[in-house]
Amino acid sequence: MHEQTSDLVVGLLVLILGLVGLVMASGALDDAMYVFGLSLAAFAVVFDLGLVKRHFDRIDAAKGGSHV
Amino acid sequence: MSDLAIGAAMPVAAPVARAAEAYNMDVVKKFTIAAMFWAVVAFLMGVLLALQLAFPIFNLGLEWTAFGRLRPVHTSAAIFAFGGSALFATSFYIVQRTCHARLFGGEALANFIFWGYQFFIVMAALSYVMGFSQGQEYAEPEWHLDIFLTIIWVSYAVAFIGTIFLRKEPHIYVANWFFMAFIITVAVLHLGNNVALPASFFEAKSYSVYSGVQNALIQWWYGHNAVGFFLTAAFLGMMYYFIPKQAGRPVYSYRLSVVHFWSLIFMYIWAGPHHLHYTALPDWAQTLGMVFSVILWMPSWGGMINGLMTLSGAWDKLRTDPGLRFSVTAVGFYGMSTFEGPMMSIKEVNGLAHYTDWVVGHVHSGALGWVAFISFGAIYYLVPVLWQRSRLYSAKLVAWHYWVATLGIVLYITSMWVAGIMQGLMWRAYDKFGFLQYSFAESVNAMHPYYVIRMLGGVMFLLGALVMVFNLIMTVRSASTAVQPAREAAVAGA
Repeated sequence: MHEQTSDLVVGLLVLILGLVGLVMASGALDDAMYVFGLSLAAFAVVFDLGLVKRHFDRIDAAKGGSHV
Repeated sequence: MSDLAIGAAMPVAAPVARAAEAYNMDVVKKFTIAAMFWAVVAFLMGVLLALQLAFPIFNLGLEWTAFGRLRPVHTSAAIFAFGGSALFATSFYIVQRTCHARLFGGEALANFIFWGYQFFIVMAALSYVMGFSQGQEYAEPEWHLDIFLTIIWVSYAVAFIGTIFLRKEPHIYVANWFFMAFIITVAVLHLGNNVALPASFFEAKSYSVYSGVQNALIQWWYGHNAVGFFLTAAFLGMMYYFIPKQAGRPVYSYRLSVVHFWSLIFMYIWAGPHHLHYTALPDWAQTLGMVFSVILWMPSWGGMINGLMTLSGAWDKLRTDPGLRFSVTAVGFYGMSTFEGPMMSIKEVNGLAHYTDWVVGHVHSGALGWVAFISFGAIYYLVPVLWQRSRLYSAKLVAWHYWVATLGIVLYITSMWVAGIMQGLMWRAYDKFGFLQYSFAESVNAMHPYYVIRMLGGVMFLLGALVMVFNLIMTVRSASTAVQPAREAAVAGA
């Protein structure tokens, strides 16, 4: 599978999971669901930011620029 | 199998450097590191629990540190975190190398599988400590975590089976068959056993659709096959790749591997009822479980024979390759525990053994001797290969790890054998008036010395793992293990 397609599909899936996490946390009736919901949203944000970073890293690498 | 034909007992860096461009080794590295981390966590938790059983004061009087909450943290860390991470690492390595194809789904999918699985483990452990559990052994996570794990597992199946479809080799190597059986069956088991109705979308509480003895039967269909497919079939896949590689020999009998694969997966799925002997489960179902368990002995030993006989003509390597020593000893423990299991499933034996510490000893001869040792053998092979080092930092430290861990297992399982048989005999002893001779508390008191010995065995196993972690960190960092340019050139030209 092409890397960009993979980024897009997985990124969208994680985005949906993050939103579901926020909804779960918003109405949580116990601590476990509150912690899980917020953690899932945070996981989704960090993961998708990682995808964005890797996307631009690849573009930089293709240009022969720095790969930081 | 051109990849296996290379048969290098010593890791070779240059081909891997070339392969690293073609294969996704990044995810394999991550899972290898995770496996080592979770191994230490799991063993540490095990030692703490053993300490709590020997000296209850170490429960600390807090609900978060009570045995009941920490026990699933230990089992999940050992089986799913350590064992699971080791399986993800090795299966992704093996499927790419034997199919000559890059992992399907790209880096994003591989990273999602890695980070998602680690997230699941942390969330599950946290929920146990907070007191949230389905109360079903090895299936403790509540419904929301079960759904999240399902998403991760389906992603794993897509990446693994997708790579099989991309293969450039016409043949599917036997290790991949074991991994596919593991992935598909664990998915079926997980979904089947966790059918539950949540109390609310916003609440970490659900009710199983099964009740009473049906619930027990489904739970042990799941529980036993978690052992069968997670802890047996998948680790056999690991064995079928790494022992031939370490020994530099082809698999002893490819035909035997195919025969014992199909017979193993057919038999295992029926053996679960042996966990419910002398319960409300209908007698015929108990007997069915017992009979299939006894028959299971043969396909199990098919794997052991194949693993050990692969060493034919290469036994001398046990002296020079301590990593191989782990793998071969693991196969020995596998043979022992797969003999002990069917024996314990026989109703008359089970009448003595069930609910006693003999069962705990049996589980740990499999978990420590088979699962952990075969993983250690694979990790010792993989780390120099993945990080492109010429060798392990210290073969002597591997030997120390081997002997300390082996002695730890011996202390653990022998103390539990003695404790378990003593428990069983005390519980069934009658005096001349027909009254029970011992109270339950007396049997608990009699266990104390064996619980202390078991804890010492666990400490030794933990120390061995810490030695391994130090050795592997030094393997990656030390200048003494760097690949020499001359050697690299020689290998590249070979």
